Amino acid sequence: LARSVRHTAVRQAHRKHEPDFHDKYGNLVLLGGAAVFTVVWGYALTQIGIEWGFSPVGRVTPKEWRE
Amino acid sequence: MLASRAFGLVGKRALSTSICLRAHGHAGVVKAEDFSLPAYVDRRDLPLPEVAFVKDLSAQQKALKEKEKASWTALSVDEKVELYRIKFNETYAEMNKGTNEWKTVLGGVLFFLGLTGLILIWQKHFMYGPIPHTFSDEWVAAQTKRMLDMRMNPVEGISSQWDYEKNEWKK
Repeated sequence: LARSVRHTAVRQAHRKHEPDFHDKYGNLVLLGGAAVFTVVWGYALTQIGIEWGFSPVGRVTPKEWRE
Repeated sequence: MLASRAFGLVGKRALSTSICLRAHGHAGVVKAEDFSLPAYVDRRDLPLPEVAFVKDLSAQQKALKEKEKASWTALSVDEKVELYRIKFNETYAEMNKGTNEWKTVLGGVLFFLGLTGLILIWQKHFMYGPIPHTFSDEWVAAQTKRMLDMRMNPVEGISSQWDYEKNEWKK
């Protein structure tokens, strides 16, 4: 039992690890990148008049075409 | 036979030459660069690296190494840890620890994909002309009714999605 206590103590005696770039800024980069992506593509997909050619099924109300 | 005798002499000369060089130290021989010597490496599949991590021991560490030669029960926990750190750089736990690198990678990828979207926006605004009039809402509506009136693709296609009794799209 004494030996296992000592083992535990050794295991816990870690050196403090200096935070690297990813620890410091990882969350910021991730969320920032996601925000830029969402804003730009949200705008591109909806606001600039790109015709995506979606199916008329369930979307378009048929209109009389005969003149 | 002459050639083999000459070769034998050359061999003896080369052997004695190299012994001389070793005896003289570094005379005429390039000093072994660090990268050509066995190196320490932290690898999961290499539990005992070829050399210890710390090569040049301080006086304190040298004393500890001397103490290591005696009974190990005399060593304190801190001393044992210090001996470990002399021999090894990271523990297995430290070696295997994950990082947050994926956040930077994914965030960077998303950011540059966003820049690509900006290119698309520029193109639509400055480069492409107007889309054909056949995409306007009234044209598409009339076109859709004509497709349904013609019973276009009635088996699995668009006409199969229209309820001709109720005059609406099938739910």
